[in-house]
Amino acid sequence: MNAPETQVKEIANASAPHGVGARRPLVDGVEKVTGTARYTADLPADNALVGLLLRSPYAHAELLEVDISEALALPGVRAVITGDECDMPYGVIPIAQNEFPLARDKVRYIGDPIAAVAAVDEATARLAISRIRLKVRELPAYFKAADARQADAVLLHEKKQGNIEREVHNEFGDVAAGFAAADLVREETYECAEVHHAMMEPNAALAAWDTERGHLTLWSVTQVPYYVHLTLARCMKMEAAHIRVIKPFSGGGFGHRTECLNFEVICGMLARAARGTVRLAQTREESFLAHRGRPESQMRIKLGLKRDGSITACQAEVVQRGGAYGGYGLVTILYAGALINGLYDIPAVKYDGYRVYTNTPACGAMRGHGTVNIRFAFESLLDSMATELGLDQIAARRRNLLKAPTETINGLRVTSYGLGECIDWVEDVSGWAARKGKLGGSGNIRKGLGMACSHFVSGSAKPVHWSGEPHAVIVLKLDFDAAVTILTGASDIGQGSSTVVTQIVAEVLGIDYHRIRVVANDSAVTPKDNGSYSSRVTYMVGNAALDAAENLKRLLVTAAARRLKVEESEVVWYGEAAAVASDPDRHIPFADIAEEALVGTGTLNVKGTFTCPPEFQGGKQRGGAVGSSMGFSYVAQAAEVSVDMDLGIVTVDKIWAAIDCGRAINPMAVEGQVQGAVWMGLGQTLCEETIYENGRHMVPNMLDYRVPTIVESPDIEVHIVESMDPNGPFGAKEASEGPLSGIMSAVAAAVEDATGLRVRALPISPPRVFAAMQEARNAAANEEQAL
Amino acid sequence: MSMPDFQLLRPTTAADAVAMRAANAASRYIAGGTDLLPNIRRGLAEPGVVIDLGGIAELAHIESGGDALRIGAGTTLAAIAGDATIRARYTALAEAAEAVAGPTHRAAATLGGNLCLDTRCVYYNQSEFWRESNDYCMKLKGEGCRVAKKSKRCYAAFSGDVAPALIVLAAELEILGPKGSRRVAIADFYRDDGMAWLTLAPDELLVGVHVPLHEGWASAYEKVRVRGAIDFPLAGVAVALKRKGNAIEDLRIACTGVASRPLAVDGLAELKGKPLDAAALAVITGQTEIAAGAMRTTVVDMLYRRGVAPVLARRLTERLWNSAA
Repeated sequence: MNAPETQVKEIANASAPHGVGARRPLVDGVEKVTGTARYTADLPADNALVGLLLRSPYAHAELLEVDISEALALPGVRAVITGDECDMPYGVIPIAQNEFPLARDKVRYIGDPIAAVAAVDEATARLAISRIRLKVRELPAYFKAADARQADAVLLHEKKQGNIEREVHNEFGDVAAGFAAADLVREETYECAEVHHAMMEPNAALAAWDTERGHLTLWSVTQVPYYVHLTLARCMKMEAAHIRVIKPFSGGGFGHRTECLNFEVICGMLARAARGTVRLAQTREESFLAHRGRPESQMRIKLGLKRDGSITACQAEVVQRGGAYGGYGLVTILYAGALINGLYDIPAVKYDGYRVYTNTPACGAMRGHGTVNIRFAFESLLDSMATELGLDQIAARRRNLLKAPTETINGLRVTSYGLGECIDWVEDVSGWAARKGKLGGSGNIRKGLGMACSHFVSGSAKPVHWSGEPHAVIVLKLDFDAAVTILTGASDIGQGSSTVVTQIVAEVLGIDYHRIRVVANDSAVTPKDNGSYSSRVTYMVGNAALDAAENLKRLLVTAAARRLKVEESEVVWYGEAAAVASDPDRHIPFADIAEEALVGTGTLNVKGTFTCPPEFQGGKQRGGAVGSSMGFSYVAQAAEVSVDMDLGIVTVDKIWAAIDCGRAINPMAVEGQVQGAVWMGLGQTLCEETIYENGRHMVPNMLDYRVPTIVESPDIEVHIVESMDPNGPFGAKEASEGPLSGIMSAVAAAVEDATGLRVRALPISPPRVFAAMQEARNAAANEEQAL
Repeated sequence: MSMPDFQLLRPTTAADAVAMRAANAASRYIAGGTDLLPNIRRGLAEPGVVIDLGGIAELAHIESGGDALRIGAGTTLAAIAGDATIRARYTALAEAAEAVAGPTHRAAATLGGNLCLDTRCVYYNQSEFWRESNDYCMKLKGEGCRVAKKSKRCYAAFSGDVAPALIVLAAELEILGPKGSRRVAIADFYRDDGMAWLTLAPDELLVGVHVPLHEGWASAYEKVRVRGAIDFPLAGVAVALKRKGNAIEDLRIACTGVASRPLAVDGLAELKGKPLDAAALAVITGQTEIAAGAMRTTVVDMLYRRGVAPVLARRLTERLWNSAA
């Protein structure tokens, strides 16, 4: 076989990026936009039973009796299970496991699953659910952190005094000395409403029980198939070897699915109890009840500033309403403290955090995990103080930039840092100098400009389950067909992880994309991966893909040399072909190289791994691993808004966002992630909030839980700053979480620029702005009267 | 919840539809289905028989010749919003139709459906699990009102956008029953009762709308909502103004989303013959404030809904006044 002459020349002469740096559509985009992608709820399953849950109508109660006898007796009912089915508590953090798939002894929020039914059809399942009888003793319930913390409050969980799940107290540097040295010290309180992920695809699982072997296969929407696998084994008391977990196409996650959720275990248990296949499709309301979103947070923050804007000290207290169970909660409260650092140069930080149990759905990880609300508070206060000092808000931030490489006072390593360039771009394109404070407006519409900065980790340097394995593994399979199959456990949840690993492999091997396919998320086939959370995939799995591709390329170059009968150093590698350096007309196509590589050994399975060195795994303080990362993304964003002074409606007209994501493996995908993060942040900023009345979720649907529509989405202009991280794959870092957390304060600053009002609570919704305007008008009128 | 089973009937004439309705007590009409289908899924409606009006040609038409505009109840909101004559001469109606939900809803949803929209309440538009765990309420299966604890009536809010526009345009509705057709002024089509908000008899069908030609009038509709699409009105206001020189010849204002029916704002007659000055604007905002007595039927603060309706009334009147100058 000979490669066509032109092809070799084309490859050799190509100037546009082929792999890394190429603007390419996502590799799984075609299936999604043509509707051929199958999501968990779409999977064909003959004779699958219908699963349905009985959920608690009580916010807090002792379960005295769950009588399932009538339900079990109904024709067509194949299984009814209760808390008796599983006595092993689970939770993503090994030291904080206090949730059961089905409640035992107690229910702790309205919606807590109590029993589950598998039946031949939905109507039968629904009838069975209605026949389950409960006897309970209701307990006092708490829906606000402050109420749950009262001295006489009944405890949701034993041994958790004051219903505090986790307290964090630490001080780095000398905070008292910092405040003493400051020219201006101010303290302010901020509040953020609880928000939910509102991912497009509702929760669903499909479980098939193999009665003969006692094996379970579970398909689920998860971001973390590995944690689901571990939890199934734990809760069902099965060997992990007898379980197979598969994640099909997934319609988003945003953190909702970064831990095993109750419905996944319940589905598995139902399939076993029914000795068959069970589909458990959850309603949108049930996703709101599974929740794991960003907690309602009360923050008190104090900053010390020198006259030139340098920060001398920061003190912060954060109270998070955590909901009924542990989940990721202790990580969230640790993140909020740890990532006060790492954005600016701050010599002293004192942090007190309280994660509180309440009778509401459990909170957890959500895009920008733990860092978003405290960033709103910090940036807002920094703005106010800069104004008070007569400083430009951008100048004040520039005064506090870090210089990489450096290590923060709490042990975070910053090895690449492009925040300065991000700020420069935002300042320039927003016309900051000429327009800030001068936009005015017309009639009852006032316009304003604001900005803020933010950052996020590129993967947690220390994994939740410390097993001694590498942080990431990729396997490349090369066979007789000369196709390269990427086997990965990394969950593509729409963020483009399969695309990133494909582009890295294409870059290293130089081969056509048509030769590469990705097989992901089947525990029987693909290597274990910790999952898609903490923005770890591009950095860690990307590095593993790079390692694997280089390992494969070495074998291929050796094979090419053998086939061409030259030394390896004589081989010129074109990817789709290889040639002899001294005689370019002698070349062989990739298929021949692959054929040669398999001689005497057969199918090649080449592995690549990545491990974070211990020095990146954070400070020695308790919980110090949280926030530690090998690389941080940096973002500056500016917002231009219009405020309707009579109706209190804030319209965001334009967002400029500059991100330092290191090397952009796929600039188009980076832009998409930044726009998505900005847009999601705008939801929390302007209109999203979960609302509970006596513990009852008042807005568990997409009509009343107001995610912005395309009408509210402004033009979002993205600029990429490539700081080239020394350890990221080709210099890459994360690009999807950092761009979210500056939006709230950027918009709040713009609203202040437009109206003179500083809103210190989210969301900046029409009723809130309307009330604030009225209050300001009344105050002004009273003042006038007094004069 | 999946869609429960029901029998689907497909009449081809309005008379057949009325006969089918009369013959099936537990039946419901369906046109675009944007209101009924979500309600069926939530268990808010459990019709054994659904009568599809989509195949009745006589219900879907817009005629704008002569001295009136006639629109069939089966006309889609998208068709109304896009009709050049309606946009030019009955602007409030086009603006109201365009303000409903999103483009895909408007392509399916009909005029009749929007006028007969079920009243809405945050304690009612919820799943069966939700309502059961909250002991239901008087609007369905339960007792008492969750909005106003001691109330003997239901406060669920009428949230259609089109009705207030038709009120200020002085429209009449044509209704077909077993004994023939009748006409009713649109304001009389509604009652301030969240459970029985329509005066339509169970065996009657809304077949169309007649709007008189409005020489010299200008009209507009605007709604306040949190999002610029999808949302029902927190408060919606329609205004029709006839200006003569520097005087108000006639002015009509109507609200939606703030009571169990769409309602005309009273007390505007005194403005006739007067200019639109500060005093007139004070009357307009004051009277609208009285009309817009929103209750706690949404999670958005009712004080906000009460507060913004007068703002809309003032703004729209000023806009029409200025554009008519």
